[in-house]
Amino acid sequence: MSAEVTLTIDGQQVKAVAGEKLLFVALNNGIYIPHLCAIAEEERPSACCRLCFVEIEGLSRPVTACTQKVRDKMTVRTRTPKVDRLVKTGFELLLSDHRLQCRTCPKNGACQLQMVARERGLKLKTGRFKPLAKDIPVDHSPETFSFDAGRCVLCGQCVHADQNIARVGAINFINRGLKRKIGTFNNRCLRDSPCTECGLCVKACPVGALTFKT
Amino acid sequence: MSAAPVQEYYQKLQEEARTKSAAQKHLPRVRVGVATCSIAAGAIRVKEAFEDEIKAMGLEAPVIDTGCMGHCYAEPQAIIDKPGHPPICYGKLDEDLARRLVKDFLVDDDPCFEFAMAALEPNDFFPTFEDYPRGVYEKKMILGQCGFINPEDIGDYIAQGGYAALAKALEQEPEDIIREIKNSRLRGRGGAGFAAGLKWERCRAAESDIKYVICNGDEGDPGAFMDRSILESNPHLVIEGMAICAYAVGAAQGYFYIRAEYPKAIERVRLALKQAREKGLLGQSVLGSEFTFDIEIFAGSGAFVCGEGTALVNSMEGNMGIPETRPPRMADSGYRGKPTVLNNVKTFAYVPAIVRNGSAWFKSTGTPESPGTAVFTLVGKINNAGLVEVPMGTTLRTLIYGVGDGIPHDKEFKAVQIGGPSGGCLPEAMLDVPIDFDSLKEAGAIMGSGGLVVLDEDDCMVSIARYFLEFTQQESCGKCTFCRLGTKHLLDILDAITRGEGTPESLDTLMELAEDVRDGSLCNLGGTAPNPVLTTLRYFRDEYEAHIREKRCPARVCSDLILYYILPDKCSKLCSACVGSCPTEAIYTREDGIKAITQEKCVKCDNCLKACPPEYLAVIKLSPPVLPEQQEGVKN
Amino acid sequence: MKMPEEEREVILSQVGEVLKDFRLSRESLIPVLQKVQEKLGYLPVLAMEKVAGDLGIPAVDVFGVASFYNQFRFNPPGENEIKVCMGTACYIAGGKIALDSFERRLEIKEGETTADRKYSLERVACVGCCTMAPVVVVNDKVEGHVTPTRVDGILLGLETGRQNEGTGRDGEGRQNR
Ligand SMILES: Cc1cc2nc3c(=O)[nH]c(=O)nc-3n(C[C@H](O)[C@H](O)[C@H](O)COP(=O)(O)O)c2cc1C
Ligand code: SF4
Ligand code: SF4
Ligand code: FES
Ligand code: FES
Repeated sequence: MSAEVTLTIDGQQVKAVAGEKLLFVALNNGIYIPHLCAIAEEERPSACCRLCFVEIEGLSRPVTACTQKVRDKMTVRTRTPKVDRLVKTGFELLLSDHRLQCRTCPKNGACQLQMVARERGLKLKTGRFKPLAKDIPVDHSPETFSFDAGRCVLCGQCVHADQNIARVGAINFINRGLKRKIGTFNNRCLRDSPCTECGLCVKACPVGALTFKT
Repeated sequence: MSAAPVQEYYQKLQEEARTKSAAQKHLPRVRVGVATCSIAAGAIRVKEAFEDEIKAMGLEAPVIDTGCMGHCYAEPQAIIDKPGHPPICYGKLDEDLARRLVKDFLVDDDPCFEFAMAALEPNDFFPTFEDYPRGVYEKKMILGQCGFINPEDIGDYIAQGGYAALAKALEQEPEDIIREIKNSRLRGRGGAGFAAGLKWERCRAAESDIKYVICNGDEGDPGAFMDRSILESNPHLVIEGMAICAYAVGAAQGYFYIRAEYPKAIERVRLALKQAREKGLLGQSVLGSEFTFDIEIFAGSGAFVCGEGTALVNSMEGNMGIPETRPPRMADSGYRGKPTVLNNVKTFAYVPAIVRNGSAWFKSTGTPESPGTAVFTLVGKINNAGLVEVPMGTTLRTLIYGVGDGIPHDKEFKAVQIGGPSGGCLPEAMLDVPIDFDSLKEAGAIMGSGGLVVLDEDDCMVSIARYFLEFTQQESCGKCTFCRLGTKHLLDILDAITRGEGTPESLDTLMELAEDVRDGSLCNLGGTAPNPVLTTLRYFRDEYEAHIREKRCPARVCSDLILYYILPDKCSKLCSACVGSCPTEAIYTREDGIKAITQEKCVKCDNCLKACPPEYLAVIKLSPPVLPEQQEGVKN
Repeated sequence: MKMPEEEREVILSQVGEVLKDFRLSRESLIPVLQKVQEKLGYLPVLAMEKVAGDLGIPAVDVFGVASFYNQFRFNPPGENEIKVCMGTACYIAGGKIALDSFERRLEIKEGETTADRKYSLERVACVGCCTMAPVVVVNDKVEGHVTPTRVDGILLGLETGRQNEGTGRDGEGRQNR
């Protein structure tokens, strides 16, 4: 079933294996699409960050590239007015809930949010939306790393690392809605959780929420 | 499949049930509506009064629990069925009236027509429900037995032909049933209106030994309760529909997903399942056939988003109720990764009648694209609130003025909100829109959950939009960016507008963001959450502008934009009803005896306005919140 | 805050009792938590740890699920539970005004319990008697047409007539079915 397909992304002919996810096909071919939550090996992507929108010929609305399986003769455009509008809004929404202090952030220069801004010419500002106050203390309790929930974008990369790769089960999403966050059992600090400090979650975090101590 | 034994088995069941009910025919019977709504209105006390009095009088007359007839404005209700009289329905009962009915009617033969609502059979003395306008416009396909049969006695259901459709179905090939349902064009009543037959067909075709049927009784719309009412009033109808579906798609296990806030519904469904098992209608070899099917109940834990199919499945699997991306579709991979049919309570409720009477019968009601009936919880500023069932294609005007008997207190109609938090508000000019899936969608509302709220001149559309958005914002699962954060910003903007802090730009941002949340969200909670905002912006933009430009709430609802004022020339110096009513002692008596309000103390609770006697009506609300004294520049 | 030994024992044995009726797998998680809360009135930390251990899932997952759903609470409820309906019909009939009045009178916000644990205040969505809007459910008894004056009356009734219908004070009884 690993038939090869040919698709067109932004006018560029690309070969891929049928069933692969469009996002990774594009990335592997040097075509950038903003993304935070996608995990290559997940069969059913969480698709929660809502930044990887593209337009596919034949579909009336932009769709997320991380959920689309590539098909032969698929024609994809990564930049259209509709796509740009959604990406801009999604990006501004994420920033409105983010402790925006790049200069003091350990991830400065390597942050995926900065990457999106650079690639898409977006400002690192909340724009139309007023910042949602966030005054959450940083958890410095582990010896090797820190967790700053105020910078978390809820992509779920760390949960995947903890639960499916390290198989520890120290962290997960807790609460619902606006209160949703990455947490431990009964909101304990990480040192009092089963965390083994393997560091996989820190490496997985695309932003400055989980960072190694230096 | 051996056909004859099934019929034989069923005939025997039905005979038993009929013999049992015939044995009681000579007795007078009192059926008291006991469902969540009526219990709240005091039905239990009324029922006990009937029982006590019947005992005291030494009568033999069973008092039977039934469900809800849908006439919620007249709860508690009872039907008295006395041989020699037509069955008569009485409304707005209390204990005294119950006792009086026992004495005057059961003992003395005076049916007390002055308290009667309607008779249930045509007769020469008293009109029936069909003789009222509401009865003319209504057509009951699934609510017909609600309130009349005893939901706690399967015999009642069987005696009236219940489970005959299942027996008939078991004699057919599954494919025939699916074809019939497809031909009937039955569309899902849970909101989106997806063709039930197609869903079933896909699930039947999916390759798997194990398949599931799930009934969605999550009913999260904060203003709708017909699913609960059906489960409480006629649970076997839904069970029968699910069993037929299971047979058609090849499932052996079914689930009721019912919200834990509906204890009465859970209790009655649990009892119904037990009775159905005892009669051989569920379990191994249903009705003596080779078909095996059973149903369990899963109690949802209170999260609106769990009504969404993938979230519902996640929660049944012991996880947070978080929606997943589709495909795969549920019919291919649903509960435990197996092919699953998920339908709404009402969708299943139509199935027995369609199987019994055929798809042509079903299609003879309603419109070609949306056949059948529409069931609504009709509430708000309406005279006859309750559950209504009308043919699809009925106009909103007929529903509101014909069935619901219009707006109380001579107020002016302003809008009708359809479909709850995912729906929209339609103005007067749209009242001739026919009620069907596609027309409503075109108008910007959706059929949705079936909540239908009538709003009048005293309702502020910005505040209504804000109310629904607050609901969805709180109920967002929080997974995806647009819904989690987008609804929060929408709410904040609306909040600012209702406080008079909106700017002309905020309307543009509101509109843009609403569209982006609609298009960018992962599931339909976020996808439909902006509808109340988008429709009010479309049809009631002037109200938004009044809030922004004039700091005025035209309906005088938004508390930051109003103040309470006592008209000096209307106030009777002698009365002080308002003074006592005020919880914060904000009202004082001026030297001339006239009452006045200390604005700083006023918490805008509305008490004084309600307390002021109708002959004076001296308390009014002003918007924008400027005192007449200040307006004229005169100091008091 | 150390929990007395007997209290730990009670919790562990109650949870153990509940778990006996279930298959020990993740699918049982929500029904188990519902049963535990029915028995104990809330979900103590210890109970969640025991459930996690016995079902063989990470404790944080149990906490995540419990914190997701409205039904579950981590603190014992107040003696008197007041639920203000904020369903659509009640909202337009002045449910917010009723809620405001309770908040003002009890000096707590919705979702909170008074310091003396006498009252907890919650909002609920449509309790199904919209024609009596605005509606307040006090210890499972429905009160209709609740104006701020009625709010005072209801609270006065609870203060004085303690013996009246308010059943199931201990968080049991009420939920038993
Ligand atoms: C946020 C959300 C809430 C929903 N709530 C319900 C519900 O309470 N009851 C229901 O039957 N369907 C609900 N639905 C629709 C279901 O996802 C699903 O479409 C439906 O149950 C399918 O049944 P039907 O085809 O019979 O309508 C909801 C959908 C969404 C997105
Ligand atoms: S901590 Fe980092 S990896 Fe984890 S959810 Fe937040 S942003 Fe994603
Ligand atoms: S749209 Fe809302 S409810 Fe749906 S997945 Fe996104 S956050 Fe969750
Ligand atoms: S990468 Fe596709 S939604 Fe996050
Ligand atoms: S809205 Fe309050 S009872 Fe229905």
